[in-house]
Amino acid sequence: MNLNTTYLGIPVKSPIIVGSCGLTSTAESIIELANNGAGAIVLKSIFEEEIILDFEKNVLPKVGPMDNDLEFFDYYDYQIKDEVLHKYQSLIADVKKSVDIPVIASINCISNGEWVSYAKKLEEAGADGLELNIFKLPFDIKKSSEEIEHSYIAIIERIIEKISIPLAVKISPYFTNLGEFVKRLSLSGVAGIVLFNRYYSIDFDINNEEVISGGVFSGDKDYEMPLRWISIMNQKSNCELIASTGVHTSDNVIKMLLAGAGSVQVVSALYKEGSSYLKKMNSGIKEWMSSKGYETIDSFKGNMSQTTADKPEIYERVQFMRYFSDHKH
Amino acid sequence: MSVNPDYLKEEREQEWRVVLRSQKKNKERTDLVRVHMTEVDPKIRVQSNIEVNQGLSEDDAVNEAQRCLDCPNPTCITGCPVEINIPKFIKNIERREFLEAAKVLKQTSTLPAVCGRVCPQEKQCEAQCFYTLKLKKEPVAIGYLERFAADYEQKSGKMAVPEVAPAKGIKIAIIGSGPAGLTFAGEMCKRGYDVWVFEALHEIGGVLKYGIPEFRLPNSIVDVEIDILKKMGVHFETNFVVGKTATIDDLKDEGFKGFFVGSGAGLPRFMNIPGENYIGILSSNEYLTRINLMDAANPNTDTPIISGKNVAVIGGGNTAMDSVRTAKRLGAERAMIIYRRSIEEMPARVEEIKHAQEEGIEFINLANPLEYYADEKGRVKQMKVQRMELGEPDSSGRRRPVPVEGSEYLIDVDTVVVSVGVSPNPLIPSSLPDLKMTRWQTIEVDDDKLQSSIPYIFAGGDIVRGGATVILAMGDGRKAAASMDNYIQNISK
Ligand SMILES: Cc1cc2nc3c(=O)[nH]c(=O)nc-3n(C[C@H](O)[C@H](O)[C@H](O)COP(=O)(O)OP(=O)(O)OC[C@H]3O[C@@H](n4cnc5c(N)ncnc54)[C@H](O)[C@@H]3O)c2cc1C
Ligand SMILES: Cc1cc2nc3c(=O)[nH]c(=O)nc-3n(C[C@H](O)[C@H](O)[C@H](O)COP(=O)(O)O)c2cc1C
Repeated sequence: MNLNTTYLGIPVKSPIIVGSCGLTSTAESIIELANNGAGAIVLKSIFEEEIILDFEKNVLPKVGPMDNDLEFFDYYDYQIKDEVLHKYQSLIADVKKSVDIPVIASINCISNGEWVSYAKKLEEAGADGLELNIFKLPFDIKKSSEEIEHSYIAIIERIIEKISIPLAVKISPYFTNLGEFVKRLSLSGVAGIVLFNRYYSIDFDINNEEVISGGVFSGDKDYEMPLRWISIMNQKSNCELIASTGVHTSDNVIKMLLAGAGSVQVVSALYKEGSSYLKKMNSGIKEWMSSKGYETIDSFKGNMSQTTADKPEIYERVQFMRYFSDHKH
Repeated sequence: MSVNPDYLKEEREQEWRVVLRSQKKNKERTDLVRVHMTEVDPKIRVQSNIEVNQGLSEDDAVNEAQRCLDCPNPTCITGCPVEINIPKFIKNIERREFLEAAKVLKQTSTLPAVCGRVCPQEKQCEAQCFYTLKLKKEPVAIGYLERFAADYEQKSGKMAVPEVAPAKGIKIAIIGSGPAGLTFAGEMCKRGYDVWVFEALHEIGGVLKYGIPEFRLPNSIVDVEIDILKKMGVHFETNFVVGKTATIDDLKDEGFKGFFVGSGAGLPRFMNIPGENYIGILSSNEYLTRINLMDAANPNTDTPIISGKNVAVIGGGNTAMDSVRTAKRLGAERAMIIYRRSIEEMPARVEEIKHAQEEGIEFINLANPLEYYADEKGRVKQMKVQRMELGEPDSSGRRRPVPVEGSEYLIDVDTVVVSVGVSPNPLIPSSLPDLKMTRWQTIEVDDDKLQSSIPYIFAGGDIVRGGATVILAMGDGRKAAASMDNYIQNISK
C-alpha cells in the first residue's frame, strides 16, 4: 500500500501538500516538513502588494522637502522587487538542494503587469511548479464580476506563455457562478486549481469599537465548502482540483480524496500541531485504507463525487427545507 | 546653517537698500511683468548643442530685480537649500552692482553659474517667493538673476581667486569631482589643507560634465570654476578609481588624514523586464556619458552610438529629459518619453519639460514598458507598453499608477534609454567593511557633521542622498569641510 498520487502532474508520495504560509518561508522549516512526510510544499508567496506597501510606507516618505530626490526614488519599487525576487530565487535554490519533494513557488499578484515575467525567473531558479494567488479583491465594488474573471484568465494565459513548469491557481469561493468559472479556468491551461484560498478576516472589538484581526486559522468545519465544490466540479474540470481550507485531520483528507481532489493543502493544522502532525495524518489515511482494503489512492479517489453519486441533486441542495423542519435539536 | 533673522534684518536696513526700496512703490514693482528668457528657436537649437537659454541682458536683469519687494520676511531664502541671501543679491543687481551680487551668491554657493541654470527653482526659492505665495503671480525670476550675476562675473574676467590660508601640511583626499567634491575641495583649500581630488573618469566635474548636456550647461561654465580651484592649489588626479587604482586604506598609508567621499550615484538601475538586455537598450548614464565624454555621437569614434530613428526614453526625471533631448539632437525622428505617471508628476524641472515639448519630444504618459522584442540580430525593434491609470494617492501625495488590464500595445523602437534611477556604486563601501550603509546603499552619515561610521571619512552629495540636486551636493561639500576641519583640529590637539 502507498499514498502515491500526483500534484500538478508531478508524482508525489503523499497527497498532503503544505500550503503557502510562514512555515514554508525558510529552508530550515521546509526540510523539517519534508522529513515529516509532506508530499510537496508551496513556498510562502511573494506579495506584489507587500512590495507596493513597502515602497509607499518606507520609500516615498523619504522623498525630501522640495522633492529633491524624487527622481532617485521614483522607480525604486522596481529595485525592491528585484531584491525580493533575488531573495526568493536563492530560497528556491537552497530548498531544492536540501529536499527531494516538489517545491512550488507562489506569487500573490494583483495586476497583469510585469509580474507575469517574473514567473520565468522562479522557474529558472528551480521551482517545480508555480502557484498563482491572484488577488483581485472580491471587495472591489467598482469592477464587474465579468471584468474580474476576465483578468484572471488573462494573467494565466500570459504566464503560461512564459513558463514550462505546471501552473496552479488558487482562488477564493467569491465568484458569481463559481462552477462555471472553475470550469473555464480548468480549460485555460492550468495544471491545478486550489479550492479555496482563505482570506485574512476581520472582527470588531465592541468595547473599543475598533476593527481587529479575525481568526487567523481555519475552523474545524471549514472543510465543508471545498468538499462540496470539489465533489461537484471533479469530473467537470479539465485539471487537478486541490482542496484547501479546513483540512485538519486525516478524515478530512480522505473526504477530499473521495470527493475527487487529487491532493489537499494543509496550513492551520500544522501551525497548531507542528510539522510532525504530517506523520499522523499520513498514517491515519493508511489505517483507513487498510480497513477498507484500498491499496492505492487512485482506487478510491472520486468515489463520492457528484457524477458518481446515486442522488446527485443532494450536492446542490442549498436550502435546509425539510431537513431543517425535521431537525429536532 | 539657519539664517539668522537679526542678521538679515540688519542687512536689510543698510542705507543703500532703504534708499533703493523707497525709489519705487510696491504697486509699481508688482505691476511689472516677469522677464522672458531669450531662448534659441526650437527648430534651430535641435540641430546642435547650442545652449537653449541665452541669459538676460543687463537691462532685463535690472528690470526683473525691480520686481523683488525686498520683503521684511524673505520667505524665498527658506526655499533655498543653502540659504542664499536672495534679496541682497537681487537688490545689488537692481543697483547695477553686478559683481557685488555675484559675491553675495558666492558666500553660500560655490557654483552659482551652474545652479542658476540647473536648480529646480520652481520647487525651491521661487515656490516660496511672496509673488507665488501671496499674490498668486509669477515669482521673481530668481534663477535667471542668479545666472545673470554669475555669468557677469565669469565674463568680467575679474573672478577673484579666493585667498588661501597658510599651508598646514595636512593631506586630504576627495573621491569624486562632482559638485560635492569640488565644493569640498575649495573650502578645504581655503583653510590651508593640501587637497587632492581623485576622479575615476578623465574629465573633472562629475555629472556636470558627463551627465547634464551642453545645451543646458556648457562645459566652459564648469571649467572656469575648476580653473580657479587649480589656481588655489587643488591637485586633480584623473583616471583614478578609488577602490581599484588604490583603496582608501592605501591612501591612508600614504599619509592622507581625512577623506571626503563625493562619488555620486552612478550605477544605473534597470527595470529587469524581459528583453532589457537586447542591443540598442542602454542606461541613460551610459548614453549620456558616451555622448558627452567620448564623442560617441561621432560615427568615426571608437564608441559610436547608433543615433536611433525611434528612440524611447523610459522615465520622467531630468536624466530622462536630457537623454530624450539629446536623442532629438542626434537626429531621432521620433524621440519619446515613456513615463508611468502623468506629466504634472514628472520629477524633471518644469523648464526642461517645456523645452522638450517645444522641441517636438513626444510625451507618452501613463504608460509603462512590459517587454522588449528584438530582430534576428538581437537588436531591439519593438516594445510592449501598458497603459496606466491613476489610483489612490500614496504617502507622497502622488497618485499611484495602476495598470489598465488589456491595454498593452506595441511601439516601434530601435534605441531605448532606460532612465529609471541610479544607485551608488558599491566600489568604495565594498573595500570598507566597517562603513555603515543604508538600505539604499548610500553612506550613512551624521546629519549635522556628515561624518560616516569611520571617523576620518566624511561624505556628501548623491552618495549620501541617493539622488539629489547640484545645490544640495554643493551644500554638503561646504558643511563637510567645516566639520572635517573641526575634526582634524581636535585630533591633532
Ligand atoms: C543627466 C542628469 C541631469 C541632472 N540634472 C540636474 C538638474 O537639472 N538640476 C540639479 O540640481 N541636479 C541635476 N542632476 C543631479 C545632480 O547632477 C547630482 O545630484 C549631483 O551632480 C551630485 O553631485 P555629486 O558631487 O554628489 O556626484 P557626481 O556629480 O555624480 O560626481 C561624482 C564623481 O565621482 C566619481 N567617482 C565615482 N566613484 C569613484 C571612485 N571610486 N573613484 C574616483 N572617482 C569616483 C564619478 O566619476 C563622478 O565624476 C542631474 C543628474 C543627471 C545624471
Ligand atoms: C499564517 C498564514 C500565512 C499564510 N500565507 C499565505 C501566503 O503567503 N500565500 C497564500 O497563498 N496563502 C497563504 N495562507 C493561506 C493558506 O495557504 C491556506 O490557503 C489557508 O490558510 C487555508 O488553509 P488551512 O485551512 O489549512 O489553514 C496563509 C495562511 C496562514 C494561516
